[in-house]
Amino acid sequence: MIRIENIEKSYNGKLVVDIPSITVHRSEITGLVGNNGAGKTTLFRLILDLVRSNRGQISIHNEPVATTENWKNITAAYIDEGFLIGYLTPEEYFYFTGKLNNFSKADVDEFLKTFDRFFAESILKSGKYIRDLSKGNQFKVGITACLLQKPQLLILDEPFANLDPTSQIRLIHLLKDEQVKNGTTILISSHDLNHITDVCTRVLLMEKGRIIRDLKTEDKILEELETYFQL
Amino acid sequence: MQIFSGFIALYLLTMSFYAGIAMSAIIEKLAPGKDVVTIFCGFLLYYFSVDIIIRFMLQELPALTVQPYLIKNIKRKYLVRFLNIRSLFHFLNLVPLLLFIPFSLIKIWPGYGGPAAVSFIATVVLLVSFNHFLILYVKRKMILYNWLMVGFFLVVVIVGFCDYHGYFSIRTFSSSLFLKLLQMPWLAAISLLTAVAAFVNSNRYLYKNLYIEEMVKPGGSKSSAEYTWLNSLGIVGELISLDLKLILRNKRPRSLLLMSGLVLFYGFFFYKKESLANNQFGLMIVGAIFITGSFIISYGNYLFAWQSSHYDGLVAGRIKWRDYIKSKLMLFLIISTVCFSVSCLYGLISWKLVIIQFAAYLFNIGVVSVLTVYIATWNYKRLDIEKSASFNYQGTGLTQWIHAFLILLAPGAFYLPFALLIDPWAGIASLGIAGFASLLLWDYWVEILLKQFDKRKHLILAGFREK
Repeated sequence: MIRIENIEKSYNGKLVVDIPSITVHRSEITGLVGNNGAGKTTLFRLILDLVRSNRGQISIHNEPVATTENWKNITAAYIDEGFLIGYLTPEEYFYFTGKLNNFSKADVDEFLKTFDRFFAESILKSGKYIRDLSKGNQFKVGITACLLQKPQLLILDEPFANLDPTSQIRLIHLLKDEQVKNGTTILISSHDLNHITDVCTRVLLMEKGRIIRDLKTEDKILEELETYFQL
Repeated sequence: MQIFSGFIALYLLTMSFYAGIAMSAIIEKLAPGKDVVTIFCGFLLYYFSVDIIIRFMLQELPALTVQPYLIKNIKRKYLVRFLNIRSLFHFLNLVPLLLFIPFSLIKIWPGYGGPAAVSFIATVVLLVSFNHFLILYVKRKMILYNWLMVGFFLVVVIVGFCDYHGYFSIRTFSSSLFLKLLQMPWLAAISLLTAVAAFVNSNRYLYKNLYIEEMVKPGGSKSSAEYTWLNSLGIVGELISLDLKLILRNKRPRSLLLMSGLVLFYGFFFYKKESLANNQFGLMIVGAIFITGSFIISYGNYLFAWQSSHYDGLVAGRIKWRDYIKSKLMLFLIISTVCFSVSCLYGLISWKLVIIQFAAYLFNIGVVSVLTVYIATWNYKRLDIEKSASFNYQGTGLTQWIHAFLILLAPGAFYLPFALLIDPWAGIASLGIAGFASLLLWDYWVEILLKQFDKRKHLILAGFREK
């Protein structure tokens, strides 16, 4: 689904991302872990063509992201509040996202009904603009807008970080469902090792811009990660 | 840009200082033979009412700066005093000092004696602080605020009207009031009383309400909106409605929209009877360009930067950039058309004006808007749209000046050669035709803009991410 070749990105001479070659497989939930500054978010931005790489190429579905635009039709991402439009109400934002993806208002309403539990009544009809929502609720809006697009590739940066425990567990189910039902390829990062090993079938460990380990389920991921982070 | 606003402030301060020194000379020139001090005193009440109005608009609450200290071990009493007193050191409070102290030293001291001059200065200072704390208090009480503002404006208008028609004279009232003060310096005690009362009141209110959530303005419940008339435009329409919401729901762009409404009145400055009769259109074109296109210029200055807080999302989202750029041009077209339609009322003054404005309108939607989008791709500065517009230079840079400069030059380049060589009307025609021709090339421009945007996309993104 995602092919990364020879990618390199540096800021002010400091190498932030340096990945010779890695592939994210279709219909797999892949996790990305690493301490702050490991380059996870930059890698996500590179994949979404929000940052220009110094060299190398990233393709989604065999389309290089830097030169084509069609990959956007199958990709949905939420990295931070920069993906939300603060002065819209959540509903307006969902309709807007829906419209961009050729969903009618009725389609969107239908879709949102299935999210009642995830929202726990604090988002829809809240009478607030997105900028006035709490950070956790903003995240929920962002994640929901992603799923609304029915993407083939879903990218989420630390989706668990701002959520309350109930929502975290619901999100885990949501992601697993999405993968099973629609065969969605999912790429997420997280600092929560339990969650990530629970959701993902493959975990990539990043350190100083490099992917230093590529762990599969059968490798006892959690133990490996715990020993790494204890150092 | 800090430097720039600093310069403006410095300039204004210097000017008020000079005005203060030259005040008596100016008054003598304007009203020869009359007593300077009497005239001066006559205008003081006007000054303080205008001062209040300006404060309504410009003065900001110093509330949020206190947030980090709230949980520290500092007594609330001191915090409140600190907030209030610190807020006094404001540009608006310096101006009257510079204006009036020189005057009192030059004119009042020799004529009325030292105590009179001192009490006069004291009164000015105290009245200024009274205004200051009054506005702070009123602005904090937001519910009161809107009504008070309307009420105060009404009073000013009514009093001004009565004054103008001679029912009574504020000037005589004001001068008798302040002249009395000069004869009986101890009257300054009254102003001391009012100022202290305002200060204590502001202090007390703050002390009671020193919670962040209460200091920040409350907002009503927000509801969703949909502009169905834009639906026929598809995604482009969707993007335009996004822009409209941005403008209506955020302080800074909203005040720009208000400004463009005010600019509609520019005609009364630019459209002179004599120049109309003699077909001297040069200056009028500048006016017409502003009237029909001021929004393009002011909003377009930061075209992409308005969305800087969610640019990542826009770029990563499923938006065709062709649609995005079209939506910007369409937005300009819509607003410009509204402005042009309203400005047709100037046709009541002269039919010539409608033609000039039509040419300017075509030029705006054809040439200026394309130019504006192009230049906007040079702007990488992040902007916080929720901050207010007055004296806010965040996100301003060289690009804005180049933009303003070009917009002023471009119409001249089309008008002047023809106007000078052939006929003013030929100049107008050239302007209109240029606009119309450019409008026909719309699709071509969109492609050019698209390429330009693609080239600069990553720079813009990186710039907007920098807080």
